[in-house]
Amino acid sequence: MTPTTFAPDPETPVASPAGPLARRRRGRALRIFWSQFVESIYGPIGLVLLSIIVLAAIFAPWIAPVGPFALEGSRFEPIGSPGHPLGTDNLGRDVLAQVVYGARLSLLVGFSAALIAGVVGVLIGAVSGYLGGWLDLLLSRITDMFLILPAFFLIIVIVATLGSSFVYVMIIIGLTSWPANARLMRGQALALRERTFVQALTALGESRSRILFRHIIPNGIQPIIANSSLLVAGAILTEAGLSFLGLGDPNQASWGRMINDGRSALTTQWGPSVFAGGAIVVTVIAFYLIGDGIAYTLNPKGRRVRS
Amino acid sequence: MGTYIGRQLLTIIPTILLSVVLNFLLLNLAPGDPARIYAGTETASEEQIEAIRRELGLDEPLPVQFISYVGQLVQGNLGESIAYRGQPVLDLIMDRLPATLLLTGTSAVLAFVLGTLLGVFSARRTPGVADVTLSSISYVLFAVPSFWLGLLLILLFSSTLGWLPTSGMVDVRADYEGFRHWLDVAEHMVLPTLTLTLIQIPIYYRITRGSVLEQRREDYMTTFRATGMPPGRTFRRYALRNALLPTVTVFGLNLGFVFTGAALVEIVFSWPGIGRLTLDAVFRRDFPLLLGIYLILAITVSLAILVTDIIYALLDPRIRLR
Amino acid sequence: MTVPTTTEAPVASGDRPLLALRNLTIGYQTQGGTVSAVEDVSLEIPAGRSVGIVGESGSGKSTVAAGILRLLPTNARVSGEVDFAGTNLLTVSEGELNRRWRWRQLSTVAQRSMSALSPVHRIGDQLNDVLHQHEPRLGRAGREARIADLLRATHLPERVLRAYPFELSGGMMQRTMIALGLLCQPPFLILDESTTALDVITQGQILREVSRLREQFDLTLMVISHDVGVINATADAVAVLYAGQLMEVAPRERFFSAPSHPYSQALVASVPRVRGQSGRLRGIPGSLPDLRHPPTGCRFAPRCLHAQRQCDDGAPPMVQLAPGHTVRCVLYQDQPEVTTA
Repeated sequence: MTPTTFAPDPETPVASPAGPLARRRRGRALRIFWSQFVESIYGPIGLVLLSIIVLAAIFAPWIAPVGPFALEGSRFEPIGSPGHPLGTDNLGRDVLAQVVYGARLSLLVGFSAALIAGVVGVLIGAVSGYLGGWLDLLLSRITDMFLILPAFFLIIVIVATLGSSFVYVMIIIGLTSWPANARLMRGQALALRERTFVQALTALGESRSRILFRHIIPNGIQPIIANSSLLVAGAILTEAGLSFLGLGDPNQASWGRMINDGRSALTTQWGPSVFAGGAIVVTVIAFYLIGDGIAYTLNPKGRRVRS
Repeated sequence: MGTYIGRQLLTIIPTILLSVVLNFLLLNLAPGDPARIYAGTETASEEQIEAIRRELGLDEPLPVQFISYVGQLVQGNLGESIAYRGQPVLDLIMDRLPATLLLTGTSAVLAFVLGTLLGVFSARRTPGVADVTLSSISYVLFAVPSFWLGLLLILLFSSTLGWLPTSGMVDVRADYEGFRHWLDVAEHMVLPTLTLTLIQIPIYYRITRGSVLEQRREDYMTTFRATGMPPGRTFRRYALRNALLPTVTVFGLNLGFVFTGAALVEIVFSWPGIGRLTLDAVFRRDFPLLLGIYLILAITVSLAILVTDIIYALLDPRIRLR
Repeated sequence: MTVPTTTEAPVASGDRPLLALRNLTIGYQTQGGTVSAVEDVSLEIPAGRSVGIVGESGSGKSTVAAGILRLLPTNARVSGEVDFAGTNLLTVSEGELNRRWRWRQLSTVAQRSMSALSPVHRIGDQLNDVLHQHEPRLGRAGREARIADLLRATHLPERVLRAYPFELSGGMMQRTMIALGLLCQPPFLILDESTTALDVITQGQILREVSRLREQFDLTLMVISHDVGVINATADAVAVLYAGQLMEVAPRERFFSAPSHPYSQALVASVPRVRGQSGRLRGIPGSLPDLRHPPTGCRFAPRCLHAQRQCDDGAPPMVQLAPGHTVRCVLYQDQPEVTTA
């Protein structure tokens, strides 16, 4: 039997199966993906925005050497004052430093939460769709329930219970945002299960766990990648909301808390709140754009409508 | 339709049960002794704690505790608040819920109508400047944290322009009655409602726009085009109804998001609803109250989703007649 | 070019053609280049006759049908002429097309009938709406009477009018679509793979009814199918389309007894001898060419058992073998060429 027998239909947004021969093909597929992603308009803009934010986060100590917590400035220094390009807040802390250090927290929480949600969602969805039967019924029901329940309030309760270390925050956000991934992955697994190459592998006596991890998940994961970008954005907004409520990590600079701290003195000094909020908006938009760029690249149907 | 509603109930009822289980588990996970939490104060004596433990059956094994917990819930007993010394949690929540529902309900309906209209408008003008502009605005509004948008609106409309009140539900100094009272509430409602409406519009806008564009590819559109029916008429008579159906289900699924937004926006505008209550509960580590809020919201959202699913079933003959 | 003796229409008939396609060429513009879907098709359908267009999927059959009613997607580029009763439909305005031609003169029964009507509107309302659009002066009673007549003609029960599409079986939905096609009593009807999705028995019933309706309403038909059996049951003449090129046009009996083009021969040979089974294309190795880069000459040449070097030197001319029987193949180049006016 030649490896080409396993080649899936090139029309569908599913990449070639794993295997020695397929690896080269996957390299080429990645190049094609990249060129189409660049064409999507959304994708590259988002990527540029994100690069700026990532660089700001990495080089935070150089951009704002004073650090986010130093009380060395006087209170309410205006924008453009020497040493404090974005002014200081009600305690005399440097606003620019808080913004760039806040980027570190937001990105960390966003990526980690999306990663956790990705792993959990992909596992639940793939098992549910591939194995089927009563397990599928049970897992789908559970997924639906978590989609319905208001996650933010659950997160509030858990964070209030466990304490507001940012590690808890990102784990909890991750553990409450997997249902959409699970739904996507289940659909993919259901479709892949019926494909000739999977059935051929089954007939050849490949074990189910091997098919699941080597073939179903790698070939069905693309929609989850697009959705993960949206989940990063969602996690950043959730973290900001928690910090705004006072449930953020007190040891980290956070955009949400900046907005809350700046609230009381909003009319005297709008800088902290406005810059922190602006940073959130730009970061979240960057991830939305990247997510839409990926989705556009993966879904030729959507492309036709938009063109 | 009966089987459809039956299936929805099979999701909704376990969902409510799941929220109860989560609540119970979290209560037991909470730091320290649940009895101490129920006692509601740090300074309760050992005897008091022991009494509470026996009274609440906290010395029983967990499954037994769970059953008695559910028994209490069914009787409407969600425990007593710590922050609001000894007041029943359910009373506190029911006190605040109407104010929150006023905000969420008004904004959800407004956003549904406006977002849908704009989505249709945009889809009809794609590709074009209007569509690109509206899509870009929807991107930004979709990314804006609700509480920050609220602050910006305060900055603009109240601090700078001085047009509208920024906090509370009524003017406490005036203490109006009758019609004047409602007018006062309406005035205080404008900014929080506007904030919540603005953050929800992109949801309906995007789904409607996509749905309308989707209809272009449907076979029936080709049929009507072939019959010589002008595109405008085909759109108004057929595509619109087909396109708008999916937005109805989104209305239900969106409610969890609205409550989240509302909670944060209420804090910004000092609106006396669930959001303020949540903030108080967080500050005082009032676990019975927090858990109660979560439970009530979970039930509210679940029931609202059930209602929208039934409305959807009534609107879509494919479900109604099956 | 051989003896230019005749300019006779491809379909033999003394009548004036109701529909004449002249050099119809349709291309789709895509990112990967222009897809040449229909290339220089000329075909005449005299009033009262039924012409079957046969070819495998992707051969451009449905593109021809969509081109006639101007239902092509926006990336399609059309040239040539669609002459309907003396009017070139490709040049009339969209408004005029809607008012005077679509459905009043030409209608079509689409491929996928289950999704061919709005799923959330009652069938009766949709029929009524289309009729009202074209004949507003008919009045409510007049419309109801017309629709009731058509239901009787297509053997549909009255309850269909109150039903939604999903409530009907495939066969009933197909009858409904035929009733919709006949709603404004047009002289010309296109059946585009209209029975493909149905089971064999239902398909047989519908085909018999089409023949009866053709008599009853004095219809001119264009029947499009990949199934030679369907063509045999409904058409007076057969036109063979391959990769957008018209290969052969022949009266039905002649086509089935003496197909001339190698592709036609393969098609006819693929019809199973046992009645009731649908034919598959056996014995033609290979597949349709890439229509972004079609073969320079005869598009069937790459798969043809009789291919010669000259097959690639431009498309062979249409030559006439007998009255009403023309073929595009170098094997017959000693025959008189057909020119299109």
